[in-house]
Amino acid sequence: MKNVLIIDKNYLPYWLRQLRKTMTLIAPLRAGNEDVILNVIENIHEIELNCPASIPSPKEFLFPQKEDMFKFSAGTTDVLKDDTRRLIFGVRSCDISAIALLDRFFGEHFTDDYYMSRRKNSIFISMVCNDPDPTCFCLGLGTGPSLKSTFDIQLTDLGDRYMVETASKQGATLIKRHIYLFAQPKKSDYEDQYEILLSAQAKFEKRINLESARQKILGERISDRFWDWMSKKCFECGGCVYACPLCTCFNVLDNVESENHGTRLRVWDTCMFKGFTRMAGNIWPSEKKGTRIKQWYFHKLIYYPEHFGKFGCVGCGRCTITCPGHIDMATIAHKIDIGDRRSR
Amino acid sequence: MKRITKDIYLPSMAEIVEIINMTANIKLFKIKPRRLFPYKPGEFIMLSLWGKGEVPISITSTYGFHTYIELCIKRVGYITSAIHMLSPSDEIGIRGPFGNSFPIEKAKGKDIIFVTGGLGIAPLRPLIHSVMNNKKQFKKVALVCGSCTPPEILFKDDINAWQKKRMQIILTCEKKSKDWDGNTGLVTEYLNTPKISFKDAFAFICGPPVMIALTMENLHGMGMNENHIFTSLEAHMKCGVGKCGHCYVDGKYICTEGPVFSYAEIKDRRLYKH
Repeated sequence: MKNVLIIDKNYLPYWLRQLRKTMTLIAPLRAGNEDVILNVIENIHEIELNCPASIPSPKEFLFPQKEDMFKFSAGTTDVLKDDTRRLIFGVRSCDISAIALLDRFFGEHFTDDYYMSRRKNSIFISMVCNDPDPTCFCLGLGTGPSLKSTFDIQLTDLGDRYMVETASKQGATLIKRHIYLFAQPKKSDYEDQYEILLSAQAKFEKRINLESARQKILGERISDRFWDWMSKKCFECGGCVYACPLCTCFNVLDNVESENHGTRLRVWDTCMFKGFTRMAGNIWPSEKKGTRIKQWYFHKLIYYPEHFGKFGCVGCGRCTITCPGHIDMATIAHKIDIGDRRSR
Repeated sequence: MKRITKDIYLPSMAEIVEIINMTANIKLFKIKPRRLFPYKPGEFIMLSLWGKGEVPISITSTYGFHTYIELCIKRVGYITSAIHMLSPSDEIGIRGPFGNSFPIEKAKGKDIIFVTGGLGIAPLRPLIHSVMNNKKQFKKVALVCGSCTPPEILFKDDINAWQKKRMQIILTCEKKSKDWDGNTGLVTEYLNTPKISFKDAFAFICGPPVMIALTMENLHGMGMNENHIFTSLEAHMKCGVGKCGHCYVDGKYICTEGPVFSYAEIKDRRLYKH
């Protein structure tokens, strides 16, 4: 299935412009306040590829922060489903790896049609990270900086041209219609790609060993006191959860517009919030902050590998940037790994 | 586990046929679903009120034995308070049934003890009914039922009917009063009262979290097999299908992998130790 081609950088805007005719183009865009976010692109030249890998994850296009599920009015219901066709351009390998896991989570047992409907209509063109951020640690997890499969289309920046790898049927159709823009790769292209990958791998500053942290937890070397210590620095802001490309918890709410009319919607929720598990009658399984933090790390380091055979972390480093208390995945896993039991 | 692809979040409608006041804050709702709605003892439904929200409620009727789906609901929170305001012929939404069920097949030919605390009798009632309706398949059956005060003993008619079918019944209330001269104290004090052979028996327990934990530990201490002691757990839930994450504790979704767990599955976990 995998197919390799070369596209001249000058042709890329034209290719995207052609693709945009049949679907909505979403790409990194510098917003008014200088932050780069993924957004709908009006002008192709506004696409900002020169941005950190840690821009908000594309999770929100598959599992939006707020999603209307159905409208209800006097006994009748209307299911609302998003079937916009989206081309999401310029996301990174870590996010593509996260989406591969989300597909399994939302697709197993009871299939989540809201996610699946959006997923079915989304195609991703991902970028190999030539310059990983100082917070990135995808290398050790095999979720980046480049991928071998699981992507639709993957671009590697080779200076004046991109290497275009295709690994899915959906991806192949995007190329097939515009094959005249692409050239066959030469030996020098492969050599350049190899060099770029090597240099990208060498640029990683963080070397986090989640497997070693997992083994230490499984060996019961980490007491609940450790989590209580860490929790002293938690602001309960939920930033880690919202930023995480793999966090999927949600709350369901009814928005009443008038009597008997309204919308049932779901919004992102976080296990870091105190009320997350509280039941009526004040039965409260995770009242303590330490318990909640432990739950988040156990979910990602223990339960995910148990269930999916993969960590619930892709090493994107977003929690490292977001957490005001510096108790993010990289820090905690490192502390566990080296046996640092101090609270500071 | 089976794959289900229809819209898992959309409730189907059901009509309230009858409402019975059980105690000052507990009502029994009999509801009639619009579609065919088969269920097994131990399963729960997501009960939905448009504009209010959804709550997981265990089914307290037995499929094929009771005409309607019966739900025993205590007024404790926002949604249950709203449900208590409803009257017959009102419509509510239901989704499900969700969760696993009590493994009653395994208990065939064995003694059984049911231990309930307060409203905990509600999820066990369908199971007790199906055991008592097939009494010949089981040996001795006993029920230890704890309540706060005598008026709060739920399903008295059912308990009398079961007693007539030769079920050993031990009722206990918190303290003596002028209308109660029976047993007093917690259910855990009466666990060894029933005349059954504990070594080979099956236990089904439901009640407040503390009571569940103590009862399971005690029964195991009395020599029961940890794989023969079952309980039904509760949790905050928003979806009922293992997606929303609210009931995810210790690597288990209570909604899809539970709510019925054996003591062996949960004894080392945080699942029931609140």
